Amino acid sequence: MQTQLRQALNHLFTLSCGASVVLLVAALLLFLIPMLKKGAVAVLFRGTVEFRKMQAEQFDRGNEEALQKEIEQTAQSRQEIYAILDQFSRGIDTEKLTDEVKGLYRDYGDELRYKDTPKEQYTKLRSQAKIIRNHLLDAFESIDKTEINEYLDAVKVFEKGNSFSGTTVEKMFAVADGFQKTIQHVDLSRRGEYAEELSVVKEELYNLFGPRPEEKTPQLAMRRFGATRWDVAQKHLSFLLWQEKWVRSDDGQSMVSRKVRRDDPQYGSFSGTSLLPLFTLVEETLDISLKPRFTFYWQYFIDDSTPGHYFGGVGPEVLGTLMLTMLAMCFAVGPGVLSAAYLVEYAGDNLIVKIIRICINTLAGVPSIVYGLFGMAFFVTYVTRHPGILSAAMTLALLVLPVIIRASEEAIRAVPQTYREAAMGLGAGKFRSFITVTLPAAGPGILTGIILSLGRAAGETAPILFAGAAALAPIPDFGGKWWLQETRALSYGCYDITVGDKLAMMVPHKQFGMVMTLVMLVLCLNIVAIFVRSRMSKKLRGA
Amino acid sequence: MELTPIRKRAALQPGKIRLNSPPSAAAEETPCTQKTIIGARDFTFYYGSKAGVENITMDIEVGSVTAIIGPSGCGKSTFLRSINRMNDLIPQTRTEGLLSVGGQDVYDKSTNLVNLRQQVGMVFQRPNPFAKSIYDNITYGPKLQGIRSKAKLNALVEKCLKDAALWDEVKDDLHKSALALSGGQQQRLCIARTLATKPRVVLMDEPCSALDPLATARIEDLIEELKGTYTIVIVTHNMQQAARVSKRTAFFCLGKLIEYGQTDKLFTNPQEKSTEDYITGRFG
Repeated sequence: MQTQLRQALNHLFTLSCGASVVLLVAALLLFLIPMLKKGAVAVLFRGTVEFRKMQAEQFDRGNEEALQKEIEQTAQSRQEIYAILDQFSRGIDTEKLTDEVKGLYRDYGDELRYKDTPKEQYTKLRSQAKIIRNHLLDAFESIDKTEINEYLDAVKVFEKGNSFSGTTVEKMFAVADGFQKTIQHVDLSRRGEYAEELSVVKEELYNLFGPRPEEKTPQLAMRRFGATRWDVAQKHLSFLLWQEKWVRSDDGQSMVSRKVRRDDPQYGSFSGTSLLPLFTLVEETLDISLKPRFTFYWQYFIDDSTPGHYFGGVGPEVLGTLMLTMLAMCFAVGPGVLSAAYLVEYAGDNLIVKIIRICINTLAGVPSIVYGLFGMAFFVTYVTRHPGILSAAMTLALLVLPVIIRASEEAIRAVPQTYREAAMGLGAGKFRSFITVTLPAAGPGILTGIILSLGRAAGETAPILFAGAAALAPIPDFGGKWWLQETRALSYGCYDITVGDKLAMMVPHKQFGMVMTLVMLVLCLNIVAIFVRSRMSKKLRGA
Repeated sequence: MELTPIRKRAALQPGKIRLNSPPSAAAEETPCTQKTIIGARDFTFYYGSKAGVENITMDIEVGSVTAIIGPSGCGKSTFLRSINRMNDLIPQTRTEGLLSVGGQDVYDKSTNLVNLRQQVGMVFQRPNPFAKSIYDNITYGPKLQGIRSKAKLNALVEKCLKDAALWDEVKDDLHKSALALSGGQQQRLCIARTLATKPRVVLMDEPCSALDPLATARIEDLIEELKGTYTIVIVTHNMQQAARVSKRTAFFCLGKLIEYGQTDKLFTNPQEKSTEDYITGRFG
């Protein structure tokens, strides 16, 4: 009976061990797969023509001729969209029209002076143009259709007079014509409302297609291109098409907030206007206008990003993380191993050593933000006097020091006493026997500690928060005092994008891309360290 | 962390004891016809307050094989390890009395530990080669002595391996890891490594206890060959082994030296009751 029970317990133990391993693997996959999937989008995605344009202009990549051809192909469908937009906005954007007409009036005066018109004629024509201008301005300001038509008819009287043919005033007549056409479909009382919605439409079109060909290139790099990724384009398209509106619910009593299309015949803001065809046109021709194509953007890991995170890659972040991690390891490994050696080989078993050991164990459990604050209060204030790579690396080193000390201590303690005896029996002193025998034998164990702390140093955000990380810092200038310059880091970049709410919505590929890059970077570093460790322990085993 | 031994200097009136000469009472009990290399006078070794060995007085003659036998925990190893001060690794120990090697007081403050340990080599219970190549294992000691010349080292490696009867087995792969050798080979390598520092005395702490009978036989042959050139002190649990290899045997019990004399005499005609009991297997 008892043996059966014992056997059952054994089986239960084996089973539960296996189950927990399976559970662990499942949890890991559950956590890693969606993250890596989202992160992979940063590298493998459908890039639009805007992306290729960006690559050509910012990074000098791609075939110039093919790109020009593509841009021409997209121009056609975009032009149609712009035509509809321009025609509609002429009627709505009266401020712009007012400015235009005033400008034309001034130009006409200049023109007359330029032609050396006789004074009498000049005065006459000028006063007539002024009347036309005033009529137009009145028409723009009015919201009554019949009144507007009266003003515009008054303008047209001058057109018939033919005295202005071939002059700038003709352009004023064209404006009047366009305005008259537009107001047929426009509810002028809602002009203000239109203007607001129109600015949204214009902004989203800008986000999709970038600046118009005739516009001059904007100063900001992020304003130079439209949607570079198909998924981002889809997002902007939905912003363009859909609006949130308070509409009457089906029972007709209460008001409910609902997403409606802007061209919805009942609720849409632009129902019944000449802008209506724009929305379906954009939706239907989007792939022609943007020409999405599958892209493998491996340069993501090394590319700089233009100011802001909109385009480009995470090159500076990768560089910064590598620098911080390596530098922190340089600071931490030496003192860590030496203090472990002291604790094991030299320190006796007295009260002070016990207190030191308790302190180290406590430090290993201190929250990382405490290190961050300490780094700011000490390293930044007194040591480097400037937040930068050096102070951040020192803070990280302090963070991982207890981990390294503890792992090294265990490893050194685990070296059999016979090794030390053998070395000492041959006449080696403490130092020699430690360096030549104990340390190599403890090597794999010490490396385990280093592997653990490597991942921690690379991934920690809080310690570098105040000590030298910056979201959009430039790549350090290695000619100068690079250690005093602030740096980007993957972990900090991730945090920054996530808390910068609107940005995160726009650049998910950056946010998850950074997470993926960080995981892969730590994985690579670990693989290297594990490889070294296995070589080491193989040698120790005598293979 | 060298602990200064608290010693009863007063008891040993200076000038009366001349090392390397056997005038003491103890020496007369175990007559020394040959030159003495290791001499102990009322040597006591304390772990904390407990004595590991008490009032040992014995002389070990140069170039001979001396066996130390006794039940477990009787202080054999403690005494052996005191000779080259390997016990220093243990905290809170102290000594009384006198222990000398080649006329030099071992526990004197001025003793150079490096020199002492190179003169008094040690082979341990379990083979403990370094996780290095065979070549590096043997050159470890000479390199510490400052020998850098490649030719000298090569010659030394060959000589030591030949002395340790290992040369024929490993000459083709000197740069293989020492840990790839068998247990017996490893122990012979450890002996070769000890010989490389050119010691005068080789201490062996149960060198065969972890080996099979065949490997044990080889080590015993080796000890036979080495005697004369080196003074060997061997601690063993195996009384046949002690009888086979040693010229003199010391019997320790409960931290005291009970009997010390010619091996054949001690085994055939023990003077003390407890020695006889131990040898005949009535206790221990």
